[in-house]
Amino acid sequence: MSLSAIDPAFREVAEWNVFDANVRVGRSGVHGEQALEPDDLLLEMDRFGIRKALVSQFAGEEYDAAEGNRLLRGQIGERLVPAWAVLPERSFFESLTLAPPAAVRLSFGVLKHNFSPAPWCSGELCEFLQAKSRLAVIQREDISWEALAQLLSDFPRLPVLILETGYRADRYLFPLFEKHPNLFIDTSMYMAHRQLESTVERFGPDHLVFGSRLPLYEPGAALAVLATARIPAEARQSIAGGNLRRILGVASV
Amino acid sequence: MKSPFPIYDCHGHLGVHPDFPACKYAPEEMIQVMDHLNIEVLAITSTLACYSDCPRGNAEVAEVLKNYPKRFRGYVTVNPRPAGQALAELQIWSYFHTPPLIKFHPDLHKYPVTGSQYQPVWDYANQTRGIVLVHTWDSDPNCGPLMLAGIGRSFPQARIIVGHSGVTWRGYEQAMETAASAPNTFLDITGSQSHRTMLERMVARVGAERILFGSDMPYLEAAMALGRVLSARIPDSDKEKIFRTNFRRLIGEDGS
Repeated sequence: MSLSAIDPAFREVAEWNVFDANVRVGRSGVHGEQALEPDDLLLEMDRFGIRKALVSQFAGEEYDAAEGNRLLRGQIGERLVPAWAVLPERSFFESLTLAPPAAVRLSFGVLKHNFSPAPWCSGELCEFLQAKSRLAVIQREDISWEALAQLLSDFPRLPVLILETGYRADRYLFPLFEKHPNLFIDTSMYMAHRQLESTVERFGPDHLVFGSRLPLYEPGAALAVLATARIPAEARQSIAGGNLRRILGVASV
Repeated sequence: MKSPFPIYDCHGHLGVHPDFPACKYAPEEMIQVMDHLNIEVLAITSTLACYSDCPRGNAEVAEVLKNYPKRFRGYVTVNPRPAGQALAELQIWSYFHTPPLIKFHPDLHKYPVTGSQYQPVWDYANQTRGIVLVHTWDSDPNCGPLMLAGIGRSFPQARIIVGHSGVTWRGYEQAMETAASAPNTFLDITGSQSHRTMLERMVARVGAERILFGSDMPYLEAAMALGRVLSARIPDSDKEKIFRTNFRRLIGEDGS
């Protein structure tokens, strides 16, 4: 990724070593022309100085977990780190045991993979992920606050990243941040007035990871929010990529 | 990171909100953020008025305009119910701005923007060349963007800001359709959803002259809209129009 590829307004981002926690790749039946194949996705990341991204496959979300993983296998690389779609089923367990991924995507939603996060359904899977310290990535719309609170209590060493919390979530998030150091959220939709800097002032940067929501959202929006937050430079670096690298155990580039 | 042009922001608020904690919402704190991002002027509407109490909410705006006349402009927020209150409010606060800046929130006030009790206000806006900021949302039965096309044609002297441009991808499509059919409508980019490539599509379809920068401060984060404009693949001259020139001209502060 060359510095000249970065939009001049976003040059400062190059120094942050950004690791984007919320990116999808491949064709989408829902989002049509907004979806991007890997080459175009990487160009878009270049434009904003986004070094790496944790990616899932639209097909794995909209259609079938195994098919999404099959497609994703051919699309990942040094800059695109996979979040495999998993289900609480034997075949997925065998794959996870053979080659445990750094992160998995759990799509509990009724209109997605339609299973429960409760221990009677997902307990064995979460136990496995916790034992291996793998990151569980969950979209906010796919889990109730009550179920999330239970998951965090049942598996206190399982890192859980909630994507797309929206900006109205603080009355749920703050009590959970108080109790659960293993809870993380992405910043793609954490967009209320001075919300990011206020949360850093109260809790520090450790619960926040940068997310753009590429290819659906304009990365410039979330990057500008992070760039203009009046927080210490170290906190900005942590949110931009340091926290996610720490969680995933990936060495800083 | 800040705007290269001093921003004239068409969509701001005053106050807190019921469903999540407000941060740094005092006018003095807002001005600090405006300075930080290079927002010269913010046009505000009372959030209290958008929810439950127009007379008291507009009075709060009056106080801020008195204390910070260079940094804020004030919308008079009106509710079509009870009948008669809207025109009374417009009279009481007519000194806020000339031409008048008027705010409708048909979603929170649960009354359709095409309803009969809004008609006297539309007449007023038409007679005074008023600027009416209407909250919109994709296909909303009270304020879907498409509802403003007919109003625009019926009240051609009023200038109508399609607040949030319908928010969703489909809402933006509806807002652009309205803008294409009513030349007195303008598209406000305020909103929580930052659709990739949308600003480029808007410029191509309706022209940069019809697009206004809006932040929703202190409800939404102004840097989000700043980032959207900064990163759009459009000429800097178009960015200047969106950040500053268009709203400044619309409210008659460009010296022309």
